[in-house]
Amino acid sequence: MKYLTEYRDASIALPLIERIRKTATRPWTLMEVCGGQTHTIVRQGLDELLDGAVEMIHGPGCPVCVTPLEQIDKALQLAARPGVIFTSFGDMLRVPGSDCDLQQVRARGGQVRIVYSPLDALALAQRNPESEVVFFAVGFETTAPANAMAVWRARELGVTNFSVLVSHVTVPPAIRAIMQSPGNRVQGFLAAGHVCAVMGWSEYEPLAEQYKIPIVVTGFEPLDILEGILMAVQQLEDGRNEVENQYVRSVRREGTPPARARIEDVFELADRKWRGIGEIPMSGLRLREEFAAFDAERKFGLGGITVNEPAECRAGDVLTGRLKPPLCAAFGTRCTPEHPLGALMVSSEGACAAYYHIAKHRGAAPAGVMA
Amino acid sequence: MCLGIPGKVIEIHDEGGLPMGVVDFGGVRRSVCLAYVSHEVGLGDYVIVHVGFAISKVDEIEAQRTFEVLREMSKHDELDWMAELGGMPSSVPTTAAAGDSAS
Ligand code: SF4
Repeated sequence: MKYLTEYRDASIALPLIERIRKTATRPWTLMEVCGGQTHTIVRQGLDELLDGAVEMIHGPGCPVCVTPLEQIDKALQLAARPGVIFTSFGDMLRVPGSDCDLQQVRARGGQVRIVYSPLDALALAQRNPESEVVFFAVGFETTAPANAMAVWRARELGVTNFSVLVSHVTVPPAIRAIMQSPGNRVQGFLAAGHVCAVMGWSEYEPLAEQYKIPIVVTGFEPLDILEGILMAVQQLEDGRNEVENQYVRSVRREGTPPARARIEDVFELADRKWRGIGEIPMSGLRLREEFAAFDAERKFGLGGITVNEPAECRAGDVLTGRLKPPLCAAFGTRCTPEHPLGALMVSSEGACAAYYHIAKHRGAAPAGVMA
Repeated sequence: MCLGIPGKVIEIHDEGGLPMGVVDFGGVRRSVCLAYVSHEVGLGDYVIVHVGFAISKVDEIEAQRTFEVLREMSKHDELDWMAELGGMPSSVPTTAAAGDSAS
């Protein structure tokens, strides 16, 4: 087994879709939280194949998309500073800030480097003791263990020219915010498999109970997603609201305890803004006081940043399921992956970009499972 | 950044107290931090890797089981359809279907 291709088998997917259709005695509305799942659903056309039985609303689980504008602007400010090497995951480079993006800062002479792992940023700091190396620590609970370890190691190794610009968010508070938002239509969730691989799923049990919604921890391959949907639909049909685990091969109830422990060591809960949504209480992480020396915001005294979100971008409505991306007036015209107006158009995990790519692709060939 | 990928651990070593290793992703090899899974992972095991860190071990038995359940499910549905289309009995015993799965 390679754990990838097997779960893309169309001869299994199509009967599964039929089974979902037969199980649903009425149309149900589910949300997949994770951008990786959105990508698979839109790309494989699963949403269209399920049309009439299950509507999938694409949730806010793409870190590129929800990192708030002021954090992007802070990144831009840092990257432009002489003596700073600004490091980031590659997909943050084209996220639009108030007036430019990291790629443009680099073109103007800013030192911006893409790293694969935050440990690479730390190694860069060790190799360049005369420079300040800043790492853009963004993401959900999946990147938090890596970012926490980089800070932990920096302290352990006494690396003082390394710091992180933190913009970490967590999934459960977002589910709560969506369930409490006026006009919410979501009746059940596919929880993000890899977030739960780290954190486990005990945090989701009170949510399922309080909002009377099924939550199914789900993987990322087409068959995983279809099975997750089937499990959620079955629960809705039975009137159950449980946390179930579809992604058994990678997720255990307690998650991965050493990773959780390291996150706890380095980070603490904090209020965070989500781009397009606004502030969600206790929905993110910040460095603990004992790691203040590694906090780029404090180290460089960043402040006084005023942000300017394009009024035309309807990311908030897309993220909460009130608007499908193609219905945004700017979609595909003033907003494209080459010239994104909003963050949702940047990463392939963003809902707007996912729709854009598939719309282009379908100009030439019809949609299909496992295309 | 958020795409975690399964890969096979083909080398394990220590880098200044940090458990590291090499993971093979279908031919592409990368250095990966194994600190969070070192207590349960050995050479040849599969792990899910995110931004250079293994965040969980893939359970091979469960992977196989999930796949088999889905495959069985799809077979049954196919048999049901055939029955609906006429000609075949609608209740084919599970064991018969399982026996065919090697084909
Ligand atoms: S299409 Fe562009 S402008 Fe419209 S909501 Fe999506 S990101 Fe914003």
